[in-house]
Amino acid sequence: MQLPEAQVAVLKTADSNADRPITEIADEAELKPETATRAAFELEDDGLLSVTERTDTSVELTDEADEYLESGLPELRLYEAALEAGADEEPVPLGKLLGQAGLDGPAVDIALANFARKGYGEVDSGDVSAAPDASADADEELLALESIAAGEPVDDENLLDQLDRRGLVERSDSTIRLVQVTGDGVTALMEGVEAAETVDRLTPELITSGEWESVEFTEYNVEAEAEKPPQGKEHILRQTANRVKDVLVGMGFKEMEGPHVDAQFWINDCLFMPQDHPARTHWDQFDLESPDKIKYLPEDLVANVRSAHLEGVGEDGEGYHSPWEEAVAKSLDLRGHTTSLSMRHLSGHATGDLEPPERYFSVEKVYRNDTLDPTHLLEFFQIEGWVLAEDLSARDLMGTFTEFYEQFGITDLDFKPHYNPYTEPSFELFGTHPETGEVVEVGNSGIFRDEVCRPLGVEADVMAWGLSLERLLMLMYGFEDIRDVHGTLCDLELLRDVEVVY
Amino acid sequence: MPVVDVDPDELRDLVGTTKDDDELREDLFALGLEFEGWTEDDEFQLEFAPDRLDRLSVEGIARSLRYQYGTDRGVYIPNTNDAEWTIEVDGPPAERPYVTGAVVRGLDFDAESLESLIQVQEKLHATMGRQRAKGAIGVHDLVALKGTAGTAGEKSIRYTAMDPDEETFVPLESDEELTPREVTERHHMGSDYADLVADLDSYPAIYDDLGLFSFPPVINGRRTEVSEQSRDLLIEMTGTDQWTIDHMCSIVCYALSARGGQVERVNVEYTDDTPGEYAGHTLDRPDFSVKTKTVAHDRIESIIGVEFDTETVVDCAERAGLDATESTNDDGQTVYEVEIPPYRVDVLHPLDVIDDIGRAYGFNDLEPRYPDVSTVGGRHERSRLEDAVRDSLVGLGFEDLLNFHMISEAENFDRLDVSPGDDYLGGGEPVTIREPYSEAYEILRTWALPSLLLVLENNTHREYPQHLSEIGLAAHLDDSQNTGVEEYQTVAGVLAETDVSYEDARARLQALAGAFGADLETPPTEHPAFISGRTAEVVLDGEPAGVIGEIHPKVLVEHDLELPVAAFEFRLDALQ
Repeated sequence: MQLPEAQVAVLKTADSNADRPITEIADEAELKPETATRAAFELEDDGLLSVTERTDTSVELTDEADEYLESGLPELRLYEAALEAGADEEPVPLGKLLGQAGLDGPAVDIALANFARKGYGEVDSGDVSAAPDASADADEELLALESIAAGEPVDDENLLDQLDRRGLVERSDSTIRLVQVTGDGVTALMEGVEAAETVDRLTPELITSGEWESVEFTEYNVEAEAEKPPQGKEHILRQTANRVKDVLVGMGFKEMEGPHVDAQFWINDCLFMPQDHPARTHWDQFDLESPDKIKYLPEDLVANVRSAHLEGVGEDGEGYHSPWEEAVAKSLDLRGHTTSLSMRHLSGHATGDLEPPERYFSVEKVYRNDTLDPTHLLEFFQIEGWVLAEDLSARDLMGTFTEFYEQFGITDLDFKPHYNPYTEPSFELFGTHPETGEVVEVGNSGIFRDEVCRPLGVEADVMAWGLSLERLLMLMYGFEDIRDVHGTLCDLELLRDVEVVY
Repeated sequence: MPVVDVDPDELRDLVGTTKDDDELREDLFALGLEFEGWTEDDEFQLEFAPDRLDRLSVEGIARSLRYQYGTDRGVYIPNTNDAEWTIEVDGPPAERPYVTGAVVRGLDFDAESLESLIQVQEKLHATMGRQRAKGAIGVHDLVALKGTAGTAGEKSIRYTAMDPDEETFVPLESDEELTPREVTERHHMGSDYADLVADLDSYPAIYDDLGLFSFPPVINGRRTEVSEQSRDLLIEMTGTDQWTIDHMCSIVCYALSARGGQVERVNVEYTDDTPGEYAGHTLDRPDFSVKTKTVAHDRIESIIGVEFDTETVVDCAERAGLDATESTNDDGQTVYEVEIPPYRVDVLHPLDVIDDIGRAYGFNDLEPRYPDVSTVGGRHERSRLEDAVRDSLVGLGFEDLLNFHMISEAENFDRLDVSPGDDYLGGGEPVTIREPYSEAYEILRTWALPSLLLVLENNTHREYPQHLSEIGLAAHLDDSQNTGVEEYQTVAGVLAETDVSYEDARARLQALAGAFGADLETPPTEHPAFISGRTAEVVLDGEPAGVIGEIHPKVLVEHDLELPVAAFEFRLDALQ
């Protein structure tokens, strides 16, 4: 019969007349205990070996016990010193004895604790008197320790408990597996048992030849960490952006496209922001040196927007008391928000004239001349979405964005009345953070003013909302410094280690 | 967003309430005033939106709360007395031709109320006044002024122009008599606003009988300095737009009226040949006239999304400090004639009234509803292509990056030995930023490889191999474009690894091209950032699209890299 090597070894080493611990067998056969145990079970399955269990309690000496075996139990040393000093006749001061017994520190307390208990004498007001007839040689505990050291069993449970309490022994239960060769096993041995070879790699030949059935596979250390293979990974912000895009597409939004470098007309003027508005200064937006001005703006649109700024829109509309120059409108900036794309789309100059209902979104880069610090970047991603429909109300706005945020686990939205030059009413959105439960600002929204819509030729209502993607990311992940994540200052390790978004 | 400091005790006093700090903060939040923190003097620091400039002072906020609580209702116009004073406008600089003003009598200042007045001025300057460029406020103790400076009669002052070097006066916070120009150059407060007059031949000046007392927009004279003892004030505002300064004046008057001041009008007399639109006219100021807007009931219901009965609309308007009268228009629809007080500089359109009604009604109590219109969503083609290429790159083991588009000229060009105007990849003329945030962010990148090299440089302490890629924006000047800029998506990859070579980059590029069914050719070429003889042009479907090769050691050394880098970059649309 051919058996894997380990099984052969176990079978040949085990006894057919007596149970033997598998650990002993393993030792003799020069096998690892796990290997021998596994082999034993496999032999048991084939009926060649019997496997039984027994629970043993083992007793071991602690380091402290070892010390005492060498130098003597503290209470005995005290006793000896006491006798020598004549404490069996006259009480002797403790201090003197300690020096002679060579006891200090914790040993003193131990000696005192056990001295009287075991009947070696008394300690009274610092004086020691020794019992003249105590038999130190017959100290039970010492004898027990000596036995254990010699490997002999100690049956007195109370004594063992006492030694355990003193921290001198450690008792543990162990399950011993015992094996014995069965009748069938003996028969097999008599007929002849041979070891089959062990194999490292499983090869096509082994598989096709059928040889795999009789070989043993070399054990691998399956717990060890392996070398990480090079791993490609989409940037965490892109993953988040894609998740946002999925949600918005699922809600019926189409993606917008448009330029990063754009005229102030599309970025600010269409948005009914007066040309002298503080946010239009270089403190907020990046004005370009070269190129300087856009070449062409649709003339009718320019006229409409100019009129809105100076005279307002509608019978009771009013304009701003600020100057309006086409030259300013034509000057080129890096867009401070993607609402420039929304304006281009609503005006019909991006994908053609739009008829309600329409929903559009974008998750794209914007540029702000703000500051570069752990929570601010000069360029970041803005999520922007808007809905064009007849008769939109603040309630529709709330409903749409409540739905969006729920997909990210942000619930219980609060809509705080706010102000934007281009929306009225406007709302700042506050939500409950899914992990921390903190109430945080999660976006800005509103219904576009008539002064924005009518000049573009839009008669129906448009509601819009926006939020920075990095803000959403920080809410979901709690990164400490956004510069580690977005931009050329990024930390590859952080990007590698961050969990995937889904 | 602007911030205003408010003493909660003052607020409680002016509102007439005993609510505690927390309750007040909640109510303020509902008004749109966010609590930012405590100041050193235990005051609320409140962030407010710049539409409601009447809330720049504790008096204005108190007024809003009184309306919110229902203590006050409807439009309130303070009583004004007839004018005693005239401001004669006789040839101020044409760049700042307008003035307005008011007299307020019977004030009883303490430290807090005086501070509040100063804060109101500061905040108005910073917002409506556009840092004083549009409007500048001067407040003076009337007791120090003597009339008859002009030709208009008993009590008048004159707004005119002065020679920057001839006049002298003692400005606030100074002991010296200085000329106006000296003030702009040497006075610690004077130099802040020197820019506003720097280009003028003559400077704005206000005189009374005793001489020059105000140098707007820069600084007032010490003679008329206001203190806690001041009882009567003259307020003047000068600037580039009459409407703006008139409304700034109204806001200040309302604040002082709330402190018990009695407003007295002034005449603003523009002489026949003075610059500006009002030459030859006399204006009666402050102008507390009420504006009216017609608001349709249907629009209110449509915007807020709730059915209203007319009583509720009128009630909400009154609780917002407005007055609404129900009426019917020519088409038989219900409309409201709404009266709006003069401190509401934000109401430009009936929509602004509807917002007020909504706030008084309580927006946050509205029940959200999902709009019943269906639309079909989708990604645009370039976005889908970008995603697909990114997926392929990740599948080839690249770590996808997101770098800045703004970069320094040195990084984009010099460190890779390329110059703007070169014919090589990366050599386009860049889009440049006027007064950039810093040198590190002065242009838009013309290619992405410099960004990837920067990341390699910043991550030499991280494990190798580092196979990095990016799909992102690149831009350069192009006169054929409307914006003068060609913007496109570029695909770039770098392989930083011991023993990496051209072949490794080529292999991945092949796989990528293959995945998109594009025919790839790589004829040899030269590029200053790459090793000669190991560089090729990336040609996809017969069109030149980029470069591939081994990065030149001089570039590696420049970036502190100690191992070879193979790289490629090409236009995304070449794979379309």
